[in-house]
Amino acid sequence: MSSDAAPTNSPARGAGATPPVGSVPHREAETVLKVAGVSKEYKLYPSPRSRLRALLTGRATHRSHWALRDVSFELQRGQCIGVIGDNGAGKSSLLKLLAGTLQPSMGTIQRVGRVTAILELGAGFHPDFSGRDNLYFGGSLIGITHEEMARLEPEIIAFCELGEALDRPVKTYSSGMAVRLAFALVTAVQPDVLIIDEALAVGDQHFQKKCIERIMAFRNSGCTILFCSHSPYHIRHLCDAAMWLKGGRMEQFGPTEPVLAAYDLYTRERQEREQQAIEAASQPVAALPSVAETPYAHPADEAALAVPADPPAPVVAVERGDACLLSVEVDNLGEPVGEQPAVLHSKDLVVTIVARGRGAERPHIGFMIEQSKGVGITSLATHEEGMFPQQLPDGTWQSVLTFPDLPLHSGDYVISAFLFDETGLVVYDEWFQFRHFRFIFPKPLPGLVRLPHHWA
Amino acid sequence: MQTLQNEWRAVWNARSLVWVLTLREVAARHAGTAVGILWPYLQPLLTVAAYYLVFDVVFSMRLGNGAPTHAVGTFLVVGALPWMAFCDAVSRGMNSLIEAGGMLQKNPLPPVLFTTRAVLASSVIYGPLIVLVALIYTPLHGFRLPVLSLLPLLAAQVLLSVLLGYLLAILAAALRDTVQIVGFLLSVGIYLTPILFPLSMFPEGWRWVLWLNPMTAFVIGYQDVLLQGIWPPVAAWIAIAAWMGAVALALNVIVARSRDQLVDWL
Repeated sequence: MSSDAAPTNSPARGAGATPPVGSVPHREAETVLKVAGVSKEYKLYPSPRSRLRALLTGRATHRSHWALRDVSFELQRGQCIGVIGDNGAGKSSLLKLLAGTLQPSMGTIQRVGRVTAILELGAGFHPDFSGRDNLYFGGSLIGITHEEMARLEPEIIAFCELGEALDRPVKTYSSGMAVRLAFALVTAVQPDVLIIDEALAVGDQHFQKKCIERIMAFRNSGCTILFCSHSPYHIRHLCDAAMWLKGGRMEQFGPTEPVLAAYDLYTRERQEREQQAIEAASQPVAALPSVAETPYAHPADEAALAVPADPPAPVVAVERGDACLLSVEVDNLGEPVGEQPAVLHSKDLVVTIVARGRGAERPHIGFMIEQSKGVGITSLATHEEGMFPQQLPDGTWQSVLTFPDLPLHSGDYVISAFLFDETGLVVYDEWFQFRHFRFIFPKPLPGLVRLPHHWA
Repeated sequence: MQTLQNEWRAVWNARSLVWVLTLREVAARHAGTAVGILWPYLQPLLTVAAYYLVFDVVFSMRLGNGAPTHAVGTFLVVGALPWMAFCDAVSRGMNSLIEAGGMLQKNPLPPVLFTTRAVLASSVIYGPLIVLVALIYTPLHGFRLPVLSLLPLLAAQVLLSVLLGYLLAILAAALRDTVQIVGFLLSVGIYLTPILFPLSMFPEGWRWVLWLNPMTAFVIGYQDVLLQGIWPPVAAWIAIAAWMGAVALALNVIVARSRDQLVDWL
């Protein structure tokens, strides 16, 4: 029903054909999405008046902004693709074009089957009507007939957990409730292609988990997923391939790790240039909080990245509520003196992380150490290593992470701690770059890390 | 006219959705009221009833010679009701895209559906009212054969409203001032029609001005049919066709020029 350029009856079974550039081989070679030479031009007019004049006279008075230029790729059934790129690289435009809410200025997009986009949830709900009424209406907008909706309704109601509230007007809903209803609605029918724009962070932790579980279920039953995120962590865990958009062009498209590594290098270099530009412009006052990509950053936390690196007020109350980190203690750490970070008075780095879980679920704990100003050194997580936090008598969870004979050279370092759900996909909490410390390696040799080695 | 054909196909393919949208628009207009669905009907009905009461019952005003009927109120109602329908449909159509902006940016739906639903939502209110007036006027026209031309007149008015509404909606998306300008034109436009006075009372030298209003031809048609039970003049049909063709041509060009950027403007 949603094919723009070609009839849906020719799903281009490219089994024997040579794989086009940018396609990733997959066991089932059924193309569900084919993007050929797509460009999107935004016409920028100096004023709305000249926009009208251009409309009436047909004369071009605009400046062109090309959000996308000549993007071509194909997705096979069952693939999961992560789209990365800087702000303004064209990610959103690409997703909107694929979803069909924008029209390409050039090129064609062929889709097979049902395409569902989770772009901005809750749009189109009428505040005066009940949730149920909006459900039926919203369904008709995405091609679910009244009869079909009657069949799907019980499952949607069960999923969104609105219960009685479903018969109240939507204007009485909290934003979380509206989003839950919207998510339940758009994912009520398994699509052939699912387009997700950083929507993993919807609602509370409990619902976030359900969303991710549902998306994973789609993925496992052969749905093609195109997923746009600022979180390399999620892309690494969910996607078989990644696409890097840079300035509206497809810079790289291929297996996840190499693309992420290339993008990571690119962002570091760019940040370095920006840092230098800032330092050249004005002498730095204090350690600027690095805007480096945290490997676990998830969409909702983009703002959190800008927060200064002071420790967040530790949460004391354990009585109820969401999973969170309760304390992160570093053994043998001195007191910070003025602007100088605390000095580690030990050869070992021993970090004790205590977190509150959610219900009976066993959470996972992550840890990252970086240079205070510079590159990341290592990040670790219990689920990556088949380890589990220990449950303490009071029900909280604790991991003690020890780096024996910390193999670093002298320098200032910063640590971050993360709390995950049991699958490692939902980030419940993060203390990002929350403590700086100084480590002094007694030998005066330059370097960053002491690698395992032997002389012969 | 290729572009317009595509637009028509989009509407036709989504006709069940257009109907759902239309019903919802009507329902949304009286959500939370006690009288409910009656409100949209009551307002024009009460206005028309007021015309009748004030001019025919209280003041018993009479039109001079050459008028198709002598009761001012009776005369007024026949032109005013279709005019109100036209104003309602065109202004709703004009605002339809701006209002649906959020929905269009998030759902892959053709914009034309929203203009169509706005005009249809207006038509399901005014259409039955005009038919009701036709029935009440039976003593005047006696249900002669020409009364049947009411159907093509109404259909043509709906179609012209969709075309004009869509054209204005795109212009309004480009420049919001369109809404203000057209709002003003619609409020003074009634003086450029033979609604308040019969055509014969307009000064000879100025009558051509009336044809600048697309509703003049319709109003003449309705008056002939409902007051006298005679066929509308050929000139009226020609004017209707001319207006329809002109608006369709302009729309065809404007839609083609704005197709890939329209949603960005909302």
